[in-house]
Amino acid sequence: MSPVRSSGALACFGRGLRASLSKPYLAVSLWLIQLLLASVLILPVSNSLHDLLDDSPSASRMVANPDLGWWETLLRTHPDLLGNFPDLLTGLLTPEGVTSSKLSGLRGIGAAAVSLGLLAIVLHAFALGGIFGTLREPHGSLVTFGREGMRRFPAFLAFTLAALAAALLAYRWVWLETGLALNERMRELQSERQALAITLARVLLLAFVLSAIKLVADSVRAIWVARPDLPPVSRFFAGIAGALARPVRLFGVLLSAIVTILTLYAIWIVADPSAGGEARFALVPLILTQQVFVFLRSLIKVGYYAGISEALTRTPSPEYSYVAAPSSAAPVAPPAPDDEPPLENPAGAV
Amino acid sequence: MGSAKARILLLALAGALAAPAVPLPAAPLAAPVASYEISCRLDPEKKTVEGTELLTWTNTTSRPAPTLQFHLYLNAFLNTRTTFHREAGGIARGVPIPDSWGSVEVLRMTFADGTDLLPALVSISPDDGNPDDRTVAEVTLPRPVAPGETVRVSLDFRSRLPRVFRRTGWKGDFFMVAQWFPKIGVLQEAGWNCHQFHANSEFFSDFGDYDVSIDVPSRYRGKVGATGKRVEERQGAGDRVLYRFRQESVHDFAWTADPDYVVVKDFFREAGLADVELLLYVQPEHASQAARHFRAVKAALSRMGRVLGPYPYPTLTMVDPPWGASAAGGMEYPTLITCGTHVIAPATLQKPEEVTIHEFGHQFFYGMIASNEFEEPYLDEGFNSYMTDRVLKATYGPDHPVVNVFGYRIALGIDKIYPVDAERRFFDVSTQDIHAQPSWKFRDGKSYGADTYSHTALALATLENLLGVNVMDRALRLYADRWRFRHPTLNDFIRCVNEVAGRDWTWFFDRTFRSSGNVDYAVEKATSTRAKAPKGLFERDGKLVDGPPPALARVRGYDSMALVTRRGETALPVDVLLRFEGGKTYRSSWNGEGRWKRFRVSGGPRLLEAIVDPDEKLALDEDHTNNGKRVVPDPRAASRWTARSVFWMQNFLDTLTVAW
Ligand SMILES: [Zn+2]
Repeated sequence: MSPVRSSGALACFGRGLRASLSKPYLAVSLWLIQLLLASVLILPVSNSLHDLLDDSPSASRMVANPDLGWWETLLRTHPDLLGNFPDLLTGLLTPEGVTSSKLSGLRGIGAAAVSLGLLAIVLHAFALGGIFGTLREPHGSLVTFGREGMRRFPAFLAFTLAALAAALLAYRWVWLETGLALNERMRELQSERQALAITLARVLLLAFVLSAIKLVADSVRAIWVARPDLPPVSRFFAGIAGALARPVRLFGVLLSAIVTILTLYAIWIVADPSAGGEARFALVPLILTQQVFVFLRSLIKVGYYAGISEALTRTPSPEYSYVAAPSSAAPVAPPAPDDEPPLENPAGAV
Repeated sequence: MGSAKARILLLALAGALAAPAVPLPAAPLAAPVASYEISCRLDPEKKTVEGTELLTWTNTTSRPAPTLQFHLYLNAFLNTRTTFHREAGGIARGVPIPDSWGSVEVLRMTFADGTDLLPALVSISPDDGNPDDRTVAEVTLPRPVAPGETVRVSLDFRSRLPRVFRRTGWKGDFFMVAQWFPKIGVLQEAGWNCHQFHANSEFFSDFGDYDVSIDVPSRYRGKVGATGKRVEERQGAGDRVLYRFRQESVHDFAWTADPDYVVVKDFFREAGLADVELLLYVQPEHASQAARHFRAVKAALSRMGRVLGPYPYPTLTMVDPPWGASAAGGMEYPTLITCGTHVIAPATLQKPEEVTIHEFGHQFFYGMIASNEFEEPYLDEGFNSYMTDRVLKATYGPDHPVVNVFGYRIALGIDKIYPVDAERRFFDVSTQDIHAQPSWKFRDGKSYGADTYSHTALALATLENLLGVNVMDRALRLYADRWRFRHPTLNDFIRCVNEVAGRDWTWFFDRTFRSSGNVDYAVEKATSTRAKAPKGLFERDGKLVDGPPPALARVRGYDSMALVTRRGETALPVDVLLRFEGGKTYRSSWNGEGRWKRFRVSGGPRLLEAIVDPDEKLALDEDHTNNGKRVVPDPRAASRWTARSVFWMQNFLDTLTVAW
């Protein structure tokens, strides 16, 4: 029990951020995983770009700025490079949306990017096991992260795949199918404003459903780690019950994280370190700035998961032999040195 | 009425009061060939227009006419077996065609003296022989119309309008009434030119004077726009109101009605050009964009007028179709154009600007310079696209803010390089069809659009660059002056170019318009190596000795080479520019006809880069990115974009993984 602590969403997210900052190696590992995945593309992208640009007179024009004509010509003359990857990214929220049949249009770097995305989702299941596990330990380390990640991996991968399937179903039924069903009726509406309002409502509904899926999945993960005392099936349902019991607080944590990340993007766009090419930042400082940005994003991300954990549970799990366990587990706790002051709040969280 | 609406109307009223009276032209602009007096009545519930038509037609050919042929355009929408439906394959402008049918029935047809012509009226299908197509009808006359003779034909018709999906029809209370009345074809020396309604074709008619009375329910009061000038508003029988419009020297008549219209007026006046009263029938949700419509149309009136001669009609009506009726937008009729925009219309989208300028441009290429849109669609759509790009380029320059989002420039304004960026779609299908051919003979709609609009615009821009803009403008002006209110062909334009240029440019049109080729020049190689002294046996004092004479042995500078190739099928003359260290340049030209040409410079400074077509004269060149080669590579851009790509990928992965 900790009556002094606020359980509001912002407070949970704030404590999560603090936990993330106190264990920066979690964000480091997330950043590393993504950097390693993305670096698979460095060679193909770099080789193609150097091949296309280095001896082209348009290269000097394009140091800082893209060239619409160059890009459109590239897509036309080198369909093998990306395939329909740009269309997939921009087509997600069009009325037609993106269906699995469009994946056959992927080529080269575009196909590799999508495969890396799938790999990233799988690896993220591992990372989440590591994050939730390590967050509950007062003295975690990168080793804890790895061990916890491996330990939770089968269950967490199942949660991730289930969430992914649910999200795809939601995209299909909340976006694509309603879009198709409404298509003709939309054209018969009195004004475009009405049509826009309906589209906006559909976007919001989709965002809401996807958020709910994510929050349920994250809740299941958090409880899965927090309640090893329960059998797996009970843990799973306790996770869902946890999400259903505190929907507003969980949405609040998610919203806080999104707003923080968007603020980060806004700062990036205003500060604009990649503009001006030569003028503002040389290549190496540019790369460093970019990586600092991605690391900050990872910090916030870990903060979000810690915030979710905070919002759902507050006692550390009793499973670790070396953790000061709740009083019920007193017999297996290591004997405290004589001179150690008594814990003020033995049941309290990290 | 909302206060915003009221304010706009007040402003419009103030504008109209300030504007001077519009002088009507004293004499008709063109000798009338086919004139119409029509009285019609709209039934908004049944979606029908019933009318009486009096056609006054003159045989201007040197031969008697034993028959008359009429377009019954609305019959294109009769059922799915018509030529239009068969060609369209269920899709019009990218949208599935709804089950909504249209028709026009001739209920009575007589000569002025009462001779009944209806029994002799039969459907014919001159283009494809489709027995189910009823878009052309022919009547055999009791006696031929003699050359120079004028006849008057009176007829009653009933038109049923479809839910709008191809230019004409209704949506709710909105009506765009076009291609709606029985209309006579064009009699030429070779016979009747009266094509069926095709999926990709537009129209062709003779000039005449139109006097049309339109009877609508009174809820449409003040909300009826039409070709020409409104000359009468009168209370009709019952709860109805009657409008009368007149216009001389036009070849079609269209009208629109929608109780929701906000009507805004403005006025165009510029020294050297004629005054024009501008009327905008705009949807309430787009009323805030009225100024953008007017700015665009005034730019077009001014810039096109200065090249092609003044727009001579006293009015221009712009129509903004409602949501769900965009198929009625982007269309031209004499003195009336339909535009189209969105509630959210950032300047980059160029809506409503581009469509307004384009449709206005048709007042020249279609309206006055009335080429055959069925047979030579590029003469109206293509020439007009070329002029549209010129007006857009001159009016909406690169003078706007740009936001850099993760290295991607997002322009807060129209950010295209005209005409290439605007007409890029041609390059996707550049070798798919003969570029200049009848509109219904293209492989598909995409090919028709790309060739007819974009290829022509790019070819004319290329011609402008090769001739120089002054010669081009004089050729266009000669063409516009000579063929105003007539029916020109491509050969007539070529003759104007040849006359003005003083040289025969027919080859250019043969290679671009009348071919299916693409244009692509590239610099394949550029090298520059230190010049070497020659080696071997050389003659000195009548003997062969080892080693060159001192004059040859002293070498300085670099030997440079550029290999330029023609990758496209079509050959056009190109310039080649070699740029050297120290700022020196060397310019040469190539007729472009072989597959390659090598350019060498010996003993000069070091070559930096070689560029083919350095002034980008060949707008038709489908790949400008291969138009140059640097001797010393510059890896900066590629490195930076690699860094950005990896960074984007990281952000993509992070966003993707946060989701589950
Ligand atoms: Zn057009």
